[in-house]
Amino acid sequence: MEALSCGERRLGSEEEYAAPAVGVSLCDSAPLVWRMQDLRAVRAQGLVGALLGSLPRTPRQNGRLGRPLLLLPEEEGLLRERRAAAALPDRCQDWGGAELRQKHEEEEKRSFEEQSVLALEDRKLALLRAMTGAESGATSADEALRRRLQALDQNFTFPQSAMAVQLSTARAGLSYCPEARAFLQAYGPTGAEPRCDARYQVFRDLRGRGFYLTSAGKFGGDFLVYPGDPLRFHAHFIAVCVSLDESVCLLDVLAVARLGSNVKKTVLLCSPGPDARVCYTSLQWSGMI
Amino acid sequence: MADQNNTDGKGKFYSEILSPSELFAARSRSHKIPVRGQKDFFPDDSDEQKQRLEQSLNEHWSLLSEERVERLGNLVNGQWIPSKQIVELRSPAGKFWQTMGFSANGKQCLLPEEALYLMECGNLQVFHQDLPLSIQDGYEKFLSANTVSLQQYQVFGHLKRLGYVVLRFDPSSESLSYARQLNLPQSRDRAGRQLKRKRSLSPAPSSTPTATCSRAEAQEECSTEKMEEDKCSEGEEDKKLPEPPEAQSSADEGGGRSWWMMDVLGDSDKDSGHGSKSGSSCWDFSSISFPDLGSTSREHFPSDLAPPDPSLLPGDLKVGFCDIAPWRQKINLRQVKMSANEQKREKYRRRWDVNKNREVRRCRNWAEYQELMARRKGKREGRPAHLWNREVTPLHDPTQPIATGELLEKIGVIKPTHLLEGASRLKDAGDWRICFNVYQPNTVADFKKSNPGKPYSRMCVCSFDDPVPDLRAIKLLAYQSGDIPVVIAVVDYGDISFYTFKDFQLPTDVYP
Repeated sequence: MEALSCGERRLGSEEEYAAPAVGVSLCDSAPLVWRMQDLRAVRAQGLVGALLGSLPRTPRQNGRLGRPLLLLPEEEGLLRERRAAAALPDRCQDWGGAELRQKHEEEEKRSFEEQSVLALEDRKLALLRAMTGAESGATSADEALRRRLQALDQNFTFPQSAMAVQLSTARAGLSYCPEARAFLQAYGPTGAEPRCDARYQVFRDLRGRGFYLTSAGKFGGDFLVYPGDPLRFHAHFIAVCVSLDESVCLLDVLAVARLGSNVKKTVLLCSPGPDARVCYTSLQWSGMI
Repeated sequence: MADQNNTDGKGKFYSEILSPSELFAARSRSHKIPVRGQKDFFPDDSDEQKQRLEQSLNEHWSLLSEERVERLGNLVNGQWIPSKQIVELRSPAGKFWQTMGFSANGKQCLLPEEALYLMECGNLQVFHQDLPLSIQDGYEKFLSANTVSLQQYQVFGHLKRLGYVVLRFDPSSESLSYARQLNLPQSRDRAGRQLKRKRSLSPAPSSTPTATCSRAEAQEECSTEKMEEDKCSEGEEDKKLPEPPEAQSSADEGGGRSWWMMDVLGDSDKDSGHGSKSGSSCWDFSSISFPDLGSTSREHFPSDLAPPDPSLLPGDLKVGFCDIAPWRQKINLRQVKMSANEQKREKYRRRWDVNKNREVRRCRNWAEYQELMARRKGKREGRPAHLWNREVTPLHDPTQPIATGELLEKIGVIKPTHLLEGASRLKDAGDWRICFNVYQPNTVADFKKSNPGKPYSRMCVCSFDDPVPDLRAIKLLAYQSGDIPVVIAVVDYGDISFYTFKDFQLPTDVYP
């Protein structure tokens, strides 16, 4: 999966996105992406999003988070515009029905049986390694080994509590919910009208130029602008969206310029103009001349 | 192989189901996260950069796609009850029970946010109608505007992952700092119980024994609580008691005094206008004799006083002559020995006549004379009447001693105030609500759910799109919280920033 780098592709038309639609679920009216393929597809379109959940490997830290991925409203809007998103069904069919439960029980039983077999094999291997390691090849050792292995076959028990169970992150990881794994059709004929508000226009334009954008609330701006994937590059700009008609208080300009210089980023005042063009003004703090 | 419906091979494309062998192999997984290297400054299309990017992305995807695999024996089994919006545990709770969960109907239960957090940690498996829920199901079912919103859960999870103990805030079970000062028994109720019933504040009987010793504190803050009103009124009643005895102490003296009065009145009936006290009529003082019993001169030495006119006396009262000899004995009639200076002053004093003053002669009645005296006094003492006798008076009388600090306070236009001033009068703040109580991580060892003690801070959750809280909201939150700082957690999609408002006094340079 290639990642876009700055200035490489000019994104615009819908034909580029023949791939299946990204499944978006709503949680408390926030758009979340759960399935791994969907996350990759979103990243492939140059949209970063924000991870919210605990990372399964190390759940008790805040440095690296895991799924779900929260989409910015602008990101969701862009996916819609590109006909690249679809609503994931919010429940499994015949939930609670006897058939599903039976299937699930059978799954568990089969898994348990397979795991018992694997566990026995694993134990035998371990025994073998221990025995052959301890004593050098003598016929008496082979005899003892065979006896031990035989005893293991007879007495080995794999308790239920030792069975490994999956706690699925997405519904796509539930064996009894095939709808969650399906391909999706994009949102209907609607979603063709791009949003008119300033933030969306700026987002669309910057994304189109190949930049990666994330939210910048704690930097006092609207977006953080990265020249490449945020995993590898630092942000260069803090984008603040202002409309062309409204007058900006000088103190606000000073405040945001100060903020920017403190974090070593250039402040970009972005104003969508007529005919879908966006006007950019960068602020740089220079000393007294 | 886990997928029964093999109708479309593409079904596996989105499948995230692990096979039993994968599940078994998960035992030997690493538990370490790879460290993130230095970032580059600018993309330059070099192969090196491309390679590093690919490596970072692969690492990223492998971490994210890893599924949670746990031993069944390590998992606590729970059941989601949508009607009550809680999770009921079907197997005994683990170590988390020390700081999370509550008991209801003899069962161990968890609040939805606690259950979801434990699911994400891999400690709990929740079932709904006998089928296990995924984390996605947990998010979609447990988080809503009725229980805990997604943003609130983000803050909850963030703090829990750092190790804090986070409990729901229940405004009705919070006692006022005043009640805690009195050491009234606090009603301890788990926040989760707010589903059942609300408890009122501490019971009335215990308030009476402590009432008398704490009356002094009652004067400070009279809030709308019932027990405090009782104490206020008790204090006032006490004040009323000492007054009646005082009123009775001013009793009349003996009969001698009335003798004098009768005498004077009796002599004055010779004057026509003796009854009127208005300024215009005059008494003929030449005809009214005021006996000078202190007189040393022999001529005016009466041995007794004549009885008053019987017409002035009430009823059949008859009064004889009054022997004033015993009275004169009580008077000190010794001559004062004065020095030459004193004698001279005495001479001038005797010759001084107040009526010689022109201003005094201009006064037509006593009222005007008193006004003149007051004016003179004012000029003399630096308190001119035109300043002090009107509605608007100077802030401070310069003749009164006062400390510099107090004086500055008196003439100050801007008064210092503190955050809780006037806060008790405020009503509901609308959107701003305290969500959680946060307790410090190092107290986990002795943390008791039944008596959590004072929280470290209280959380209020909002987003950057919301307005900054105005003073009214801050006052209300501070009042609801009592003496515990309120922290506002602002959620910005993935990031959380914490802000708090501190109340402090400006330093003063003046020492009394």
